[in-house]
Amino acid sequence: MAYKILEGIRVVDLTTVYAGPMGTRILADLGAEIIKIESPKRPDLFTRMTAYPDNEPPEKENWNAGGYFHLLNAGKKGISLDLSTDKGKEIFKKLVKMSDIVMENFSPRVMDNLGLGYEELKKVKPDIVMVSMSGLGHYGPLRDYYMYMTGMEGMSGLTYITGHPDQPPLLSNYAYGDWMLGVTGAAAALTALYYRKKTGKGQYIDVAGREAIVIHIGDVIMDYTLNGRVKERSGNANPAMAPHECYRCKGEDSWINIAVENEQQWQALCKLMGKEELKDDPKFSTMEARVKNRDELNKIIEEWTSQHDHLELMEKLQKEGIPSGAVLSMKEVHLNPHLIQRGFFEVIDHGKDVGKRPIGKQMPAKFVGLESYIPSRAPRFAEHNEYVFCELLGMSKEELKKLEDEKVIGTVPRFPPGRPTRLDLIEKQAGKGAGYVDPNYLEELRKVFGEDIAKK
Amino acid sequence: MGEERALTGLRVLDLANNIAGSYCGKLLADFGAEVIKVEPPKEGNPLRKKAPFWKDEQDKEKSGTFFYLNTNKKSLTLDITKQEGAEVFKKLVKDSDVVIEDFEPGKMKEWGLGYDELKKENPKLIMTSITWFGQDGPYKDFKANNFTAYGIGGAMYVMRPTRWPDTRPAVLGGYQAEYTAGLIAYIVTMAALISPKEEGKWIDLSVMEAVTSTLTGIMADYSYLGLSRRTLPWAIHGFPTQENYPCKDGYVNLTPGIGGTQAIADLIEKPEERENPLLVKAGARVKEPEKFEALILPWLKEHTKWEITEKAQKLRLAFAPILSPGELPDDPQIKAREFFVKTEHPEMKEVTYPGAPAKLSESPWKEGRAPLLGEHTQEVLGSIGLSENDIKGLQEKGIV
Repeated sequence: MAYKILEGIRVVDLTTVYAGPMGTRILADLGAEIIKIESPKRPDLFTRMTAYPDNEPPEKENWNAGGYFHLLNAGKKGISLDLSTDKGKEIFKKLVKMSDIVMENFSPRVMDNLGLGYEELKKVKPDIVMVSMSGLGHYGPLRDYYMYMTGMEGMSGLTYITGHPDQPPLLSNYAYGDWMLGVTGAAAALTALYYRKKTGKGQYIDVAGREAIVIHIGDVIMDYTLNGRVKERSGNANPAMAPHECYRCKGEDSWINIAVENEQQWQALCKLMGKEELKDDPKFSTMEARVKNRDELNKIIEEWTSQHDHLELMEKLQKEGIPSGAVLSMKEVHLNPHLIQRGFFEVIDHGKDVGKRPIGKQMPAKFVGLESYIPSRAPRFAEHNEYVFCELLGMSKEELKKLEDEKVIGTVPRFPPGRPTRLDLIEKQAGKGAGYVDPNYLEELRKVFGEDIAKK
Repeated sequence: MGEERALTGLRVLDLANNIAGSYCGKLLADFGAEVIKVEPPKEGNPLRKKAPFWKDEQDKEKSGTFFYLNTNKKSLTLDITKQEGAEVFKKLVKDSDVVIEDFEPGKMKEWGLGYDELKKENPKLIMTSITWFGQDGPYKDFKANNFTAYGIGGAMYVMRPTRWPDTRPAVLGGYQAEYTAGLIAYIVTMAALISPKEEGKWIDLSVMEAVTSTLTGIMADYSYLGLSRRTLPWAIHGFPTQENYPCKDGYVNLTPGIGGTQAIADLIEKPEERENPLLVKAGARVKEPEKFEALILPWLKEHTKWEITEKAQKLRLAFAPILSPGELPDDPQIKAREFFVKTEHPEMKEVTYPGAPAKLSESPWKEGRAPLLGEHTQEVLGSIGLSENDIKGLQEKGIV
């Protein structure tokens, strides 16, 4: 029996795009029932239209085929509801009444303007837990700033300390700030549920994405508050460890991280490189000396690493007990034997136009001895209208039809024509290419996840 | 009786030596759980040796890292690697809800403290085990740290500026692989505590997998398109969305947002450029980024990051200043939200640090200080019925 640890917890999910949906996806992976509400006028656009399977937008219902949406919304139920209508608000409140958590990531003024702020929802369901996720928080002089992941990361201090000293500060290129916001929202929601379990009381939670990121660099901040020191960008250098660098390996754009923590590991590395003379070289014989002479040291090491395949080299280094990790590309992540054996990817069948695809877990922790709960595929637009409106809320099919006619709900969202991703431009970006396109990716995936991958 | 906090009534034994587990324990403690940091006698937890130190004095009571990751906890010294210590630990387990540990796979079992053993003491025990690679799998015994785990988790490969995608990847600042795992550990531990299924559970969390999970949507780049990105692709996210440009006093991020790129003409006081293809067409910018830069950089360099941001935000451009860790305490929003907190510490005097991850209206997060080494040994061992003589005996043997 697949194990749903949050069985019986129901979440009303108003979140869109990236941050919020990650938070509710984590709760979905833990087995909570997530009811994702989208307006037919304003569906969850960006993720629904990004990464169409095999870069071919289907002719029909292209809003149901976006890969980003599938990943971020697996395990959820989807309904449509226009909250700007009186009828929509009324139905929403009925749904809140039978739920445990409401999660939203609108701009701070939106829920209150709709008349659906916490004070209103509390009247309907006194012990509701409501989580608002925003860039800078729901109060304060800058609360109405337009904020995306870029602003949250940029204003957190994390960007300032990331990147090479001779390059501009570097944002995460994978929406880490969004992840932080959504996942902190999920953490706060569970904290409140525990409190409710003991006291019966609900509450309101205000999560600011920027703050959620700042707390993850607490040690860096402490150097400022204790000693007045501001950390500057230092690439991959570590003040207490050398070697501690990302080294080029054999082959195109291939890298390995090596971080040596003590003398024993250092000596093992010298031996493996066939350069035992370095051990006694005063420039490198102590950690302090290596930190000081790290540039020279890095050159010597890179000469050696660039003659080796990064994955083979990692195995060799690990055999000698040297902390090292090949820097995996997204292709290599999908084909990684460790992740595969641990079941990190779940093969989920998305039906027509898509087929089965490996979908990464958003809650990677496992319960030992219990079978993992595998989430269902992401919902099609308005797929669970009947379940939610009729089964949960007790409406008749006629009432449902009437709501559709009144455009309170809808099965067809306002949506632009599907367009393929311009992989040709990506391969040419800045004259170097923003990434690699592997024409044989389906065969590669089939070798690992089974022959029926992506059979539509 | 104190006030009822979010996690009052929970008792947690925190054996973590690294950041992830300690951070998970910190969150539990800051929300009101009684978290007992179990430290090796004499030298204490390894994080006590980690910089930054108060006034740069290298002392086990003056590490900022240890302080930050152990706020509101109690400290018990106990050598669980010795049999007598392990027996005492088992007694503590009887009265506790959660054990957090981050030893190499198999270590706890070696000391007679594997999950099956502990479950005999307390059938409802939640044990949260955090390791670099998990309890099984081909990499189980691999050596790692934050840096190498971040690379093999797949996040590092994409860490390059969009303008120079072929440069050496750079790790995200601080210890993000570990903090990420710590936050996930907190969530899954809380889920296990809330669960209607009230039997004990052993949680197996890998730092590598935690890192991979943060890649979220872009995992579909490969499984849907065959794409492995090495930086942010402009063709998906637009240019200059992820770009940080120099200005008079630092850097500013240019994410147009709903204001639209044409509003940049108004920002830089060149309304005549509103119809410039570089501002109208994404394709034109992507083709010749240096021309776009030539248009905006002179104005940016004459203005500060806050001047640019304030003006841009009025034009509904989502520009933002790149703030240094030192600029945060004076940020008006941070101040208004009282995000930084102050607390007293016997050795470090007044300590200021970043506060609540989220504002909970009824059961808020609270500040506190880290414990001195062994500060609560008597109290904790007394609570499981050890007499002063028992404790003295253990002390003489170096167990506590």
